[in-house]
Amino acid sequence: MKNENIERILLEVEKPSRYVGGEINSIKKDINENTIRFVMGFPDVYEVGMSHLGSHILYNLINTVEDVACERAYAPWIDMEAKMREHSIPLYGLESGDPLSKFDFVGFTLQYEMSYTNILNMLELSNIPLRWSERGEGDPLVVAGGPCAYNPEPLANIVDFFVIGEGEEVNLEILDIYREMKKGEYTREAYLKRIAQVEGIYVPKFYEAEYNEDGTLKSFEPISEEFPKTVTKRIVEDLDSAYFPDRFVVPYIESVHDRAMVEIFRGCTRGCRFCQAGTIYRPIRERSVETIMNHSRTLLQNTGYDEVSLASLSTSDYSDIEGLVSRMMDEYKDKKIALSLPSLRLDKFPIEMIEEIQKVRKTGLTFAPEAGSQRLRDVINKGIQESDLIESTRNAFRRGWSTVKLYFMIGLPTETDEDVMGIKELAYKVKDEFFAIPREERKGNLKVTASTSCFVPKPFTPYQWFPQDTVEEFDRKTLMLRKSIRDSKVNYNSHDSKLSFLEAVIARGDRKIGEVLIEAHKRGCRFDGWSEHFNYEKWMESFESLGIDPHFYANRERDYEELFPWDFINTGVTKEYLIKENEKSKMAELTKDCRLGCTGCGVNNTFTGGVC
Amino acid sequence: MKNMRLKFIKRGNMIYISHLDLMRFFQRTFRRAGIMLRHTEGFNPQPKMSFATALALGTSSDGEYMDVELDSDISSEALLEKLNENLSEDIKIVKVAEREGKESIMSLIEWGQYVVKVVPNSEYILEEVQKKLDSFLKLEEVIEHKEKKKKNKVTTREVNIRPNIKRVDLMTVENGEIMMNMFLKTGSNGNLKPEVVVAKLVEYADMDLDLESVKVHRVDLFVERDGKIVTPI
Repeated sequence: MKNENIERILLEVEKPSRYVGGEINSIKKDINENTIRFVMGFPDVYEVGMSHLGSHILYNLINTVEDVACERAYAPWIDMEAKMREHSIPLYGLESGDPLSKFDFVGFTLQYEMSYTNILNMLELSNIPLRWSERGEGDPLVVAGGPCAYNPEPLANIVDFFVIGEGEEVNLEILDIYREMKKGEYTREAYLKRIAQVEGIYVPKFYEAEYNEDGTLKSFEPISEEFPKTVTKRIVEDLDSAYFPDRFVVPYIESVHDRAMVEIFRGCTRGCRFCQAGTIYRPIRERSVETIMNHSRTLLQNTGYDEVSLASLSTSDYSDIEGLVSRMMDEYKDKKIALSLPSLRLDKFPIEMIEEIQKVRKTGLTFAPEAGSQRLRDVINKGIQESDLIESTRNAFRRGWSTVKLYFMIGLPTETDEDVMGIKELAYKVKDEFFAIPREERKGNLKVTASTSCFVPKPFTPYQWFPQDTVEEFDRKTLMLRKSIRDSKVNYNSHDSKLSFLEAVIARGDRKIGEVLIEAHKRGCRFDGWSEHFNYEKWMESFESLGIDPHFYANRERDYEELFPWDFINTGVTKEYLIKENEKSKMAELTKDCRLGCTGCGVNNTFTGGVC
Repeated sequence: MKNMRLKFIKRGNMIYISHLDLMRFFQRTFRRAGIMLRHTEGFNPQPKMSFATALALGTSSDGEYMDVELDSDISSEALLEKLNENLSEDIKIVKVAEREGKESIMSLIEWGQYVVKVVPNSEYILEEVQKKLDSFLKLEEVIEHKEKKKKNKVTTREVNIRPNIKRVDLMTVENGEIMMNMFLKTGSNGNLKPEVVVAKLVEYADMDLDLESVKVHRVDLFVERDGKIVTPI
């Protein structure tokens, strides 16, 4: 990337290497008039974007196509944004330095609702009109995908089309159709019409929403019969043979997850009722030990990382986790390559294995009991017992660990104050386990950290009908915990309830929320997920100025008959199943792991493959 | 085990990489090249690698140095070749030698050579600048006020930086730019930044220079060996 205008400002901003590209393994192609230009926009700062596995996969996959050049763009940090505006420098692709407005496609990955204002800011910095209705033939097509695209409606006025499901399945198809049409009589409209027929593609302009007087959705229909009534997600059927890049771009500056990442399986069979990923990534698909070994070997070789992490929703659920880990350790121990296993479950906690892998580098332990009482853990179908936690921590302390982090949620359905106080009790029990070890055998200085986040009900979960706790209720519960946890060995952290409230509004939002996003953007909202930039008042002013009540979206209990804005998307899991799970939840009735037998979610009727 | 000293250049986009990031960058480069570095013992083993001095962000250099301890036996030529295969144009190894002596590169560095570009606010001709520079270099004392923070108290110390300036040669005055070659004290035994020298020219030699315009390129680093000033390799 070479641009004198940009070079001039780089030394005036924090971490300039965020904005220069040229990293090891970045792909810079020669551009000619036949090149299809795609830019992957990540609506957060560079270090966060570079830690996202899916972006690495898609960037490399798209670049495998000869006449397609895929570049990257991240949200510039506040200081850089100010400089760019001051010097009229548009947002640019890191590989060429060319403004985003020159590209054919500008793609965004939707990982988190509170990054939506960054999308708007990035479009504005690129001089691309914010609404699809304002964009013309010369403007790029704005496309979005990722987990939050399962409710695309809040961005329906902004994004030209959505990819629902797994990108490596669909992205090449939309490029092929584009290439073909560019040779003939291409118009933006004709292209969108054509791809609206592709399974997994949602083009909002071809769908119309009508509302009831109470604000709920009355109907949601395609504007003509040529468009499908439902959009079914796309999945990679055989993950073992699916594309996986042999190299990742290696950032110069430290990223959030600064290591090689290998995905060992997709999906999860546990069925925790609060978890959206547990639904949208069904069915479960595994890679073989051999494939994982090969992927990680080439990745480590080509990146030079000294750490590899095994990515999945629940790593210890991998069928042959012990075989995999022992093979990796055999290969990596002498090379001083560390292995990290994020997302381990307490009831399958292989402490001996962890001890073995942490001989290279020792870190603290993190557990997610999610709820403080057994009753509430049963309600959410977490399926772990207090004894699992106590045993795991006891074993860990005996083996020399002394730092434990515990993650909980507050505001879960049926939660009482007693359940909330259970969080404190659990943290104290963990502490007692440490001090039950004879003084001379204890190692290190105990530190137990209990963190609570505020529960956000999400679409496609059994709790999609559930009212979120109000901000006041969250704050009351948090304060109650904060006041009662008074121990130098036990720390308590809580999340911002106001941020979770907005997250809940957008997560179950409809098209009207899109206008709020634009309004909040106009008022200067961006980097909302970063506490130093989150401005709740500006958001509230935005709702007020448009006459939209956020509580309608976050705090309202819905009934089973209500039509949801996301109901036209088919994840494979039926609404009936979600209703059944919601009812079982009220009775604190468990649903077993579907590896142990089909629980009838419906995904096996739509998709083949997986354990179903 | 082998102790090696490497000389490298840093330019282009790599000038935006901080010192800490550079260390991580090289650790990865060694791994990609398949060359195992020796590691420290303990819970968090770190590769044994040390750099001569940190280069300020935004500064290019043709003469940076690092010492490494290798676990494998490899010739200097092969090491240079393998590393460069895994590096780019903007950062390249230019010299490799087996290290003599035990002292760390960090404590050895005494002097640095810099090419400094600065834009004057008024028009100058070469002779004028040379005259002002000569008068500046005749001074026996050039005072720099160094601030020191200690327990929230800021104390100012006056330091004579003149002994830290070995030479300043005027190279060109053209196209609205003045180019100088400076030889300054550099490293952990004393360090004078070229930017400070430019500021002192403004202060002591009555030169009208744009301090924001200063661009520095490090030419090389030097050690003192048997009373002579030589490069570390």
